Amino acid sequence: MGEVELSCLAYAKMYLHASQFPRCSVNGLLLSSSPAGGDVCITDCVPLLHTHLSLAPITQLALTQVDAWCSQTHQRIMGYYQANACVSDSSPTPCALKIAEKIFEQCNNAVLLMIDGEKMFPGCRVPPIVMYERKDARWALKDKHTIMLRQWEETCAIVNQLFSSGDQALLVDFDSHLDDITKDWTNQKLNAKIMELISPANGNV
Amino acid sequence: ITSTNVSLSCISEMRDKLRKWREENYRNSEQIVDVGEELLNEHASKLGDDIWIIYEQVMIAALDCSRDDLAWSCLQELKRQFPDSHRVKRLAGMRLEALERYEDANKLYDSILQDDPTNTAARKRKISILRAQGKSSEAIRELNEYLEQFVGDQEAWHELSELYINEHDYAKAAFCLEELMMTNPHNHLYCEQYAEVKYTQGGLENLELARKYFAQALKLNNRNMRALFGLYMSASHIAASPKVSAKVKKDNMKYGAWAASQISRAYQMAGRGKKENKCSVKAVEEMLESMQITMS
Repeated sequence: MGEVELSCLAYAKMYLHASQFPRCSVNGLLLSSSPAGGDVCITDCVPLLHTHLSLAPITQLALTQVDAWCSQTHQRIMGYYQANACVSDSSPTPCALKIAEKIFEQCNNAVLLMIDGEKMFPGCRVPPIVMYERKDARWALKDKHTIMLRQWEETCAIVNQLFSSGDQALLVDFDSHLDDITKDWTNQKLNAKIMELISPANGNV
Repeated sequence: ITSTNVSLSCISEMRDKLRKWREENYRNSEQIVDVGEELLNEHASKLGDDIWIIYEQVMIAALDCSRDDLAWSCLQELKRQFPDSHRVKRLAGMRLEALERYEDANKLYDSILQDDPTNTAARKRKISILRAQGKSSEAIRELNEYLEQFVGDQEAWHELSELYINEHDYAKAAFCLEELMMTNPHNHLYCEQYAEVKYTQGGLENLELARKYFAQALKLNNRNMRALFGLYMSASHIAASPKVSAKVKKDNMKYGAWAASQISRAYQMAGRGKKENKCSVKAVEEMLESMQITMS
């Protein structure tokens, strides 16, 4: 399979999600607004759960709602991410494989992304992610060199900025939304802040 | 009002906060460190005997925030005041766990247990270490053994249900939750979690049980959104099943419709005046519409 690009927006929110719940396994969906069949770009993500990842009802509910939102906003679900509570083990769990499988049924260049907790420390030079793609009926490790994170330094700076300004607390996942449905799981507010930091007018790029 | 009075009421406010967080078992460690560190550094003399329990609370929160400096100084104060205490020894063990010195932590807990084999805190810490090391099957085994002796330990039953859920052993998770529901019949969260497990197990019988327990959770707390959605989804799936009688189908469509209207209402109220909720409201409405179609 070819190159997969991971946008700053998607990366930042995944990172924030994992940081917000350091003692839990967390997961979410990877979205793309680029047309199917072209270059694969993960343009956004939706943080889903931080409790009971392997129970069906809320996962099903979230998938249905994200699907509905995606068709309204011309995006499609093209992947799944997960960060395990046990930091030393970043291998995909049965639950991760199951959900990724479901996504693959609808999207033949779906990716599975595991966040490597051990590399999530300040000053780490390497993106803390491991990506899997579908090859020969199984999920195979994707070659690191085919995963593009444009402007990696700037992305790290933006994530740090979100922490120092306290804006990382704005992140809402689907679980938190169910605890308080006035909270927005599409994270419009946080998205706007991140896009502001990315914009060239800010002198950041 | 003199400045001393103002700071006294401030101090008592901070103490009350800490007490509330202690009693409700909140794990808001950053806040506890924030408030607790100030209290201990600036106003220790005004805390009376409360100071020791505050040291303990702040120490544990400090470990959670990787503030070993703060944890260490709290521990030293407690060691000085209670030199032979098992309770303080356990805190020392927790600090070793936070530093991932699991062997040393285990040695400490073992020495507590040698002195006092009924010390449940030390036993539970040893099980937490197994969990932290990713040794789930061993943690499950030890927890089961523990519960044979201490069958009333709610925290342990819940921990075991979580472990089983992670291992996809839903039948055993259900058993643990049944224990919890029996001893805590008014707890809506246990009902709702039990219903989620049943739903996950699947099959008509389990779906019906799920629906019943989602409904029970709602009876106990009518604002539990997970239970409301769960009721909607389980009723809808039962109604859509080709295996059910016309009456069962009709009943479940009724339950589903009721749940749908409650969900709609809740989202309308939540969305009022908040433009950012537009997206989630729209997504829910679309979902409710699409499921109506599959049901009929």
